[in-house]
Formats: sequence, structure tokens, C-alpha cells
Amino acid sequence: MPLSILVTLVVLGIAGIAVLTKWLGMSSPKRFQTEQDVIAAWAREFPETPVSDVTLCQSGNGALVTTALGPGLVWAMGADSTARLLSKANLTATDTGLRIDLPDYSAPHVTLTLTKAETAQWSALIGASA
Amino acid sequence: MSDLTYPDVVQLAVPFFIAAILAELLWIHTQKRGGRYETRDAVTSLIMGAGNVASGIALGFIAWGFFTFLWELTPFDLGTSALVVLLCFVLDDLRYYWVHRFGHRVRWVWASHVNHHSSQHYNLTTALRQTWTYTFTFMMVVRAPLILIGFHPAMVLFCGGLNLIYQFWIHTEAIGKMPRWFEAIMNTPSHHRVHHGRNPRYLDCNYAGVFIIWDKMFGTFVPEQDGEKVDYGLVHNLGTFNPIRVAFHEWVGIWKDVTQSGITWHDRWMYCVAPPGWSHDGSRDTSEAIKAKHLAKHPQDGGTAGFS
Repeated sequence: MPLSILVTLVVLGIAGIAVLTKWLGMSSPKRFQTEQDVIAAWAREFPETPVSDVTLCQSGNGALVTTALGPGLVWAMGADSTARLLSKANLTATDTGLRIDLPDYSAPHVTLTLTKAETAQWSALIGASA
Repeated sequence: MSDLTYPDVVQLAVPFFIAAILAELLWIHTQKRGGRYETRDAVTSLIMGAGNVASGIALGFIAWGFFTFLWELTPFDLGTSALVVLLCFVLDDLRYYWVHRFGHRVRWVWASHVNHHSSQHYNLTTALRQTWTYTFTFMMVVRAPLILIGFHPAMVLFCGGLNLIYQFWIHTEAIGKMPRWFEAIMNTPSHHRVHHGRNPRYLDCNYAGVFIIWDKMFGTFVPEQDGEKVDYGLVHNLGTFNPIRVAFHEWVGIWKDVTQSGITWHDRWMYCVAPPGWSHDGSRDTSEAIKAKHLAKHPQDGGTAGFS
């Protein structure tokens, strides 16, 4: 197959599928509704590290968890979730919440939508142990 | 016969891949079952697929040069009959089984293969979430015996392309189970869903490409369990959709582990070749450790599929 046709097919194919999934409503991010949602998402990643407390943000796009190993973060990855411990995390307040930079090439940073009160609370909770 | 050529079937299949993805997407949307799609996940998978084709074009000459060298070395030539092509396809599938098994059991090879497992979804775009770094695993050496016993390099690569195309359609939740005879011999959506599972039961099994018989022969077959839904993705899921990070994260992980101070040269070697999850201080879990911890909590699962 000529390279020009292959490239055209690939570019149009990717763009078309992206537009179609967006149009069909398949790009809504996961929202954590309850503490149980958060604990379940945490347990998927850290089954040996129980959660003692959950701080769920109003936007539902992430939650702070307290564990014996320190604070951890659960956040939405598209329609799914992932989680990391927050040791060595760097925090930066943004206009809409908090940016958390992690020393992890596979999860370099997380941007969370938080209220001003949540931003202060989360900064204190994470900053106290980071 | 040195100028033997076959079509690049993977490139020719690109329009079929796109059409099949569209069909699956519309099926899921209209039927409200049979899988999930998410925009960024799907786009990442498709970009990984495009990058795989690009890396093949850019780096394919390395494997081809190696195979040509072997072909000039060997005194054997099995010819190009249909029977020889069929035999080549079957033996190349056996080759695929072992490369794939190494891909899960040797971290150096896992660093290339991991991105294929990095989606938390399981749909036809996941099939295209392919490696960009296969050349650097040196797994082309596993094909050497095929060429040395007389299969032409072009035929071997042609069969490898057909193998990859076969595996495309099994990346779906839209198909439940195939007829029993088919499930017994062939790799199917059901068998391959299990392979993509991160459940302790489903780790490190069903490495087959086309014929599931290899897993049954070598003791790595685990059937999909009605009572245990497959949870897709990695043991530690990624926190990024950036294709560069998806492609290279495990290589970066190896580099960080190998270059840390205070460990022995044996430890550095093991960080490259031991199974994923190995660590010099035991602070991480291999799949064996994950299964053992699961059994400690759920002893009733002992001896059942995936825990025997």
C-alpha cells in the first residue's frame, strides 16, 4: 500500500473514531460518588494497604485517602481510575484547584478541580507528610 | 528464491481494522452491551498502533537483515508450497507463544509488551495498542530456528502478519463464547479476555496467538470463569494517556532500577531479566507473590483454575 494512502487512512481513522466516540458521549470522565467507590478504586491498585479515611472532592474527579503508608490519591483516568501514594509529591495551587506532580514517569501529574476550601485542606493534608 | 515477496498483510488490513472498530463501536452503542469505549483510551490505543507500524517501517531493516543473514547461512530450503506455508504458520504461532510468554516473564521483554496491556478497556482498539520497541527486545532471535530449517524469511514474516491479524478480532467483549470445538483449538475472545485480566487468577496465562493448544500443552491455560469477571489493565494502572509515556514507561522504570546506588551487579541484571515485579529488597510483588497473597486471603481458591 502506498505510504501516502496508509498515512491518510490512519489519520482519518483515528480522527473519525475520536469524533464518533465523543459524539456518542463516550468521553465523560469517571466521577467518584461515594467513599465506597474510592475505597474500591484504591483497593484495585493497593489491595494490601487499607484505607482509614477518605476525603472526596466535590467535583468527584478524585479523592484523598489516608493509609498507614501516608496519604494516597485516587483519580479518574477517563472512564476508569488509578491511584498512587503521595510521598514526594509536589503541589501547586491553580485557578481551579490543585496540580500534583509525582516522581513517577507513568503518572507524572494530576490536575484536580477543587474548591478554595478543598485546595487549602488537601494542601495541608498532603503537605504534612510529603 | 532470495527475491521471494509476500504482501504486507498488516498494512492491507488497516481499512478492515477501521471498519471493524466502527462496527463494534456502533454495536455497543445501539445494544448497550458488549464492551466499553472511551475517547482518550481509544485514541491512545490507535496512536500506539500507528506508531507500531511506523517503527516497523523505520526499524524493520534490522530484523530483516538478521533473517537474510540466516537465510544465506542455511543449506535448507523448504520451498513455497501451500503445505509449507501452512506448516510455517503453525510453527510461527508456536514461536509467538514463547515470545509472548517471555514478554510476560522477562522484564526486558515486558518493557516492550506492557503497553498492550495498559488499557483498562478491552475492545478492538486495544488490539492495536502495540509496542514501538519490539526491536530492542531482540526477540527476533526466536524466529531464527524457523529460517535455519528452511522457511524463507519473507514467508515467516507473512505468517507473522497473518497471526497478528487473527489476533485483532479476539480483542472484544461483544463476542461471548465460540462453538465448543473452536474454543478447544483456537484462541478466542473468551480465552484472550482472560489473558488481559489483572485479577490474581488471570495473571500470566493464555499466551497463545492463534492456537490455544500451546497453552494447554505447556500448562498455562486458564478458562474464563463465569463467576469472576475480568478486570482489565495493569496491576498498577497508568496515570497518563500520553503515548510516549505509555510506550516507554517500563524502559524508564528499568533504567531507574538498574542505575540506583547500593545494589549489586547481580541485582542490576535481575532488574532487567527477572519477572516483572521482582525487586532486590522484596518491596514489590511478582505475579507469583500476588497469587500467593490472594490465596492467603481466599484459601478456598487453592487448586482452582489459575491457582493450581
